[in-house]
Amino acid sequence: MAQSETQIMTDAASPRELPATRRTPKILRRLRQHGLVIALALVFIFPLLVMISTALKSPQDVFSSPPTLIPSEWTFNNFATAFDQIPVWRYLGNTMLVAGLSVLGTALSCPLVAYALSKVRWAGAKPLFIMVLATMMLPPQVTLIPLFLIWNGVGATNTYLPLVVPAFLGTPFFIFLIRQFLMNVPDDLLEAARLDGASELRTYATIVLPIARPAIVTAAVFQFVWAWTDFLNPLIYLNDESTYTLSIGLYAFFGENDVAWGPLMAACTMFTIPALIIFLIGQKFFIGGISAGAIK
Amino acid sequence: MSMLTRRRSEARQTARDLAPKRPRTRRRSFWIGVAFASPFIVGFLGLFAYPILASGYYSFTDFNLFQSPDWVGLDNYEQMANDDVFWKSLANTLVLAVMGVPLTIAIALGGAHLLNTPIKGQPLYRAVIYLPSIIPIVVGGYLWRWLLNTQYGFVNYFLSWFGISGPSWLQEPDWTKPAIVLVVLWTVGGTMIIYLAALKDVPHELYEAASIDGAGPWRRFLNVTWPTVSPVTLFQVIVCLIAYLQIFTEPYVLAQERLNNISSGPDQSMLTYAMYLYQNAFVYLKMGYASAMAWVLFIVTLIVTLVVLASSKRWVHYGSK
Amino acid sequence: MKNSFFTTSRSRRLGVIAIATTAALALAGCSGGGDADGPTTLKFSYLWSGPEAEVLETIIDDFNDSQDEIVVKGVSSPDQQKQLTSMSSSNGSFDISDNFGENVGSWAAKGVLAPLDEYIESENIDIDDFAPAALEQMTHDGQTYALPIAVHSFQLLYNKTLLDEAGVEPPTTMDELADAVEKLTVTDDSGKISQIGIGDANTTTTLTTLGFAFGGSWSDENGPTPTDAGNIEAVDWWQKNVVDLVGADNLADFKAGEGQYLSAEDSFFSGKAAMIIDGEWRAASASEVAPDLDWGVTSIPAATPELENSTQVTSSTLFIPTNSKHKDEAAQFLAYLLSPEVMEKFSLTLGNLPARTSLLDSDAYGDLPNFEVWGDALTSPNAQSLSSAPYGAEYQTDLGNAFDDVVRGKSNAEKALDYVKSRSKSYTS
Repeated sequence: MAQSETQIMTDAASPRELPATRRTPKILRRLRQHGLVIALALVFIFPLLVMISTALKSPQDVFSSPPTLIPSEWTFNNFATAFDQIPVWRYLGNTMLVAGLSVLGTALSCPLVAYALSKVRWAGAKPLFIMVLATMMLPPQVTLIPLFLIWNGVGATNTYLPLVVPAFLGTPFFIFLIRQFLMNVPDDLLEAARLDGASELRTYATIVLPIARPAIVTAAVFQFVWAWTDFLNPLIYLNDESTYTLSIGLYAFFGENDVAWGPLMAACTMFTIPALIIFLIGQKFFIGGISAGAIK
Repeated sequence: MSMLTRRRSEARQTARDLAPKRPRTRRRSFWIGVAFASPFIVGFLGLFAYPILASGYYSFTDFNLFQSPDWVGLDNYEQMANDDVFWKSLANTLVLAVMGVPLTIAIALGGAHLLNTPIKGQPLYRAVIYLPSIIPIVVGGYLWRWLLNTQYGFVNYFLSWFGISGPSWLQEPDWTKPAIVLVVLWTVGGTMIIYLAALKDVPHELYEAASIDGAGPWRRFLNVTWPTVSPVTLFQVIVCLIAYLQIFTEPYVLAQERLNNISSGPDQSMLTYAMYLYQNAFVYLKMGYASAMAWVLFIVTLIVTLVVLASSKRWVHYGSK
Repeated sequence: MKNSFFTTSRSRRLGVIAIATTAALALAGCSGGGDADGPTTLKFSYLWSGPEAEVLETIIDDFNDSQDEIVVKGVSSPDQQKQLTSMSSSNGSFDISDNFGENVGSWAAKGVLAPLDEYIESENIDIDDFAPAALEQMTHDGQTYALPIAVHSFQLLYNKTLLDEAGVEPPTTMDELADAVEKLTVTDDSGKISQIGIGDANTTTTLTTLGFAFGGSWSDENGPTPTDAGNIEAVDWWQKNVVDLVGADNLADFKAGEGQYLSAEDSFFSGKAAMIIDGEWRAASASEVAPDLDWGVTSIPAATPELENSTQVTSSTLFIPTNSKHKDEAAQFLAYLLSPEVMEKFSLTLGNLPARTSLLDSDAYGDLPNFEVWGDALTSPNAQSLSSAPYGAEYQTDLGNAFDDVVRGKSNAEKALDYVKSRSKSYTS
């Protein structure tokens, strides 16, 4: 697991090269491969280029047919309009708060539970693990309405509690991820500490947590992305504009402004930049984490 | 993966060796287990067990959120059977899944092959392809609405290069589903990266052996790659199917015309199951009906997953290496 | 294993947990409430946003300055779908809010709205001054549950320049309208629409209004009546004279390329639509967005002489939710918002008709071109409203889908409205 995780992002040129298809000269093959990969990458990044270019266009320019990628006249007015009409900083702050607390909750709770399911020998480990798996399968729609009623009943709608508290109670997918990681940790490591008379909590804190760090960071990064991009939960639980996260704030902005594409794309650009920065910082983990999750 | 299994069995072995030495009482470790697992125990009871039972109960009631639920027996389920819109939403969702899942698998596996070629700059390309997956779906949705615009969008402009006069993607009922699948496919990066990891696990010797036998790239793929990654494909198919059955944000954003306008696209062609469920629950406040829909979705999900699992015996090959 | 967050001292870890818990708790407690000694804080959640919200905030400031017992805090919350669910919370999320006339009955039936009769009396609100067509929607079971701050009516706007060029007079009957639509629709060489005879601000509003204009009715005391003869006639008229004239696909293409509603690229403002049925707010945005446009407005053409001056009246309402803990104070603020001066200021800035008939003659609205055409319609005997019944939301969705089918040529008036009729059996009662 660790091997593929680190390898994926770092191996620029793998030494494994097939001797086959000798007919095509190596240079040509390389060129073809490069061309194909670049074409693929272009397809994925092109929409983002259009987003940025539209954000920098004047209104007449936006509605030009056929469309152009390079603005004929660069303008930042769309950003000014978007800033004027959307409380950008507040939405960003709200989203950061929700994402940050969710990550904290996941990092605190999921390793604890994963530890109980993998390294503590007790009768509950197996049944509880089955429950974790079962809840992973459950469509969120099944619990949607009762959960709404519970939060509503305690007056917690229009607060971040419904978005954040579940993370503190352990997300099944992340428990699963970390548990699979811990299963591979040899028991003798823990036994040694236990025989030294260390308490269970101490063993957990000094041995298990440091070892599980890659899996925990992966879970945390995933949780961040989930919280950052979540739409349905904020849509259901947040009611007034001052509490909106960016997904829902953007949705409201679009709804009111219909096809004001310039400012809308400017807003989209602004909301993409923080995710982009976090992505660039955590790149290794994002992509490594996904592969770790795949291998069961 | 082989390494993993080995490690796991080693671990088990060690555990067995150590077992007799353990001085701890069973009871003590039971409470330790409970203590460590307590967040999830609370979470399971509060966030899953109770809500599941409660939504089961609501599904037999008429409930509008403000007045207490009225027991109506099977009324909601009967109404569902006779509700054209319910069937339409289910059909829309299944059509999306049937279109989307094979495309996702094919594109993810094909793309992973490209990303696995030994050329410079691969980390950058991988990052670029994964990038759309971390962008809020709402942003992606609006961006694609713009790209798919009949007059000013790039998609139809590119199509016109090939002499194709593109459709009105979001106005013609026949084209809204391809549009949704297109938007979802933009975020196929995650699936692709998982395949990339799986491809790296395919033993190189197998390819060499096949090459020596004179197998071309396509034969190598069919005989070596596809069987080896088939367990991962099974995982991907199930995850992707479940995601399609629950699809909400993409069609919701693509269909939305104006805030406070309940919209589901031309001829309701974008009304997915999850959207109709949301409408019933939070727009019409038919919480009982929506709960019944949720349970039916649960059952449909289980059936579909089981069917895929059952079929997997025929096409999934577990490590013979 | 170096110095990670997880290996720091235990007390530090606990500290972090404590901070997280405190933060979570702090998040929970943000609902307002007055202390016994200080002024009462009222939360006013409104659907308006942008420039309209700014006007509202100045009105709120005026009110807060005018007395020292109540402090109103305004919150813009434009998503209507959330407004209702947020009122089900056990501790009220706001004390006063706004919505639309057609929802009053449905909400009152669910027990969401506080009856206002007692407050109308205690605050001396002169109910007789309000437009009668709008007031109908405000009552449920003989009690008043909301009051209108602004009302709206729909009339036929036309582009004078385009009509003059085509030699068309503003139509006064449905036949003349059909004739005008035909003469004013222009297609280019490839058959694409370059100018449409009559545009469509919102299909549901346009066609329900036309239904009234053909003598139809959308509901009676027994529930929805989508298949009423007048309704079918109206939808059929639209299909024959607007859709079939150019072809459904062609029309869909034109609509797909339409600019933003009420922007400079709006079909009517940019001269791509010669006529349009729309509300009085268009007068205010015309002065702002399309000052050079030479436009006029006339009553919706009559299908028969008895149906002259038919229109649909809708209203923006204010209400107090049942779960508000400060109903008396909310009523005081409600009365302030509905007082003639404040209502005038508010409706004027929004370009809406005031709900008080006494204000209709006010000179203040003089700057809004042709405003009196919409205003006069309020008192017409043929001014009607959609019923504010519990099934309203579902009914409107189904009507919207049926109209959409007709406009896209997938169905005809009778079939589409029959379908709505069959759907209506499962509506919430």
